[in-house]
Amino acid sequence: MAQISTNEFKSGQKVEIDQEPYTIVNVEFVKPGKGQAFTRVKLKHLISSRVIERTLKSGEKVEIADVEEKSMRLLYKEKEEAVFMDDVSFDQIEIPLNLIEDQAHWLKEDIVYDIVFYKGAAVGFTPPTFMELLITETAPGVRGDTASGRVLKPAILETGAKVQIPIFVDQGEKIKVDTRTGEYVSRV
Amino acid sequence: MFQESSSTIEILQDRAAMFRAVREFFEEKGVLEVDTPILSKTAPIDANIDILKTNATSKQVGYFHSSPEYGMKKLLAKGLGDIFQLCHVYRQGEVGALHQIEFTMLEWYRQNFSLSKLMDETKNLIFLFLGSMPYEIVKYENVFKKTFQIDPFRASLDELSKIARSHGLSSVSEQRDFYLSFLWDIAEENLGIDRLSFVTNFPASQAALSKTFKENQREYASRFECYFDGVELANGYHELTDPVEQKRRLEEENLKRISLDKEPLPLDYSFLHAIEKLSNKDFFGVAVGFDRLMMLRHNTEGIEEVVAIGWNES
Repeated sequence: MAQISTNEFKSGQKVEIDQEPYTIVNVEFVKPGKGQAFTRVKLKHLISSRVIERTLKSGEKVEIADVEEKSMRLLYKEKEEAVFMDDVSFDQIEIPLNLIEDQAHWLKEDIVYDIVFYKGAAVGFTPPTFMELLITETAPGVRGDTASGRVLKPAILETGAKVQIPIFVDQGEKIKVDTRTGEYVSRV
Repeated sequence: MFQESSSTIEILQDRAAMFRAVREFFEEKGVLEVDTPILSKTAPIDANIDILKTNATSKQVGYFHSSPEYGMKKLLAKGLGDIFQLCHVYRQGEVGALHQIEFTMLEWYRQNFSLSKLMDETKNLIFLFLGSMPYEIVKYENVFKKTFQIDPFRASLDELSKIARSHGLSSVSEQRDFYLSFLWDIAEENLGIDRLSFVTNFPASQAALSKTFKENQREYASRFECYFDGVELANGYHELTDPVEQKRRLEEENLKRISLDKEPLPLDYSFLHAIEKLSNKDFFGVAVGFDRLMMLRHNTEGIEEVVAIGWNES
């Protein structure tokens, strides 16, 4: 397996720490007065998304996590798993929904996602940064209360995502959402 | 002290003012300003400090100093007594909020002084930057007991590694000092809160270039560190002037460097010769991080914001 030194750590890299795969979120060089230099890293678990902090001796090498990403289209969602297909090879894979619980509200049939494979097994996905989704549930807007344009109300989208939308947008409309933050961008 | 964050111009003007204030501080005390070379044929040897080197001539490697200590001690050996230096120093690979590859160090030496007098003088120097405030003197082992409920001198390697692991350390080592160093970094964060904290009685294994002493059957380094707001600001020594012990320590550091897969460095014999000349004299010295003082004075996030041009901007 390929290794990487703490001196080459950058955020976004995928590394293996304590036999678990993590994405590096943040790197910091620390050095007490007369002592050894250390590298303090904030790590996000590739599967559980749990964030931890670890400190390593500067210059120490760790394994690069065996992580691959592939674009695949969502065919359908079942009770226990989501099924994706590679548009080129027509290979199909399944991801158990319990692995992707925190992201499942961005799953929509026929959309292409970046699927994350760890040691050959699909463990997660990244949705497109912006998605266009239908509002399936929201309270009707109150006319005359739109002066500031900053008044928001809760809404549920076709994928189950819960977002805050401007008060003038109605049920049945399609909106553009930023999936990184879950924020409303515009009407479509 | 500045309450609001200052603009770059204000910081640079204040930097110049503080250079003047430091020079006045020492002039009043009759401490002479010196400027030893930044580049030498030999390097300070410390297992944990990596030196920048360059081709000084086509045949000769030159090393950038990581502190002016060796050069200044050579001047002490020539007969100077009380001296100070304000200069840039270099440490390879050290980039972080509190670190820059090139930074400004203030270092001074006092003859026939004492560690407590030196702490007092260091305190007054720091007050120039941060204003006066209460201060305390605490022992290294008591800081450990308070933070981790262990005695750093008694705890086994196993206990140390267990506590370090519970605080997020992933690396392992056979060296006690490795774990102590990691844990110290955590303990430091609680030092110097609303006051200046001087820490004394470091383990003899962390003596660097200071004398050691025995107290209650324990061997300690005769040195102190000073902290404010969790930031290490100063490192003061009762200077080692035993040439045999000095040579042994340099060789020991080189062995540690080899065990860390680092290149051993050439011994500076003119430095050892200087120590020999100082062997019947008594000196105290301290190094202060000028940029860190400026950082705390201006409430910035790191030292990069208070230097003229930081590494990332250079």
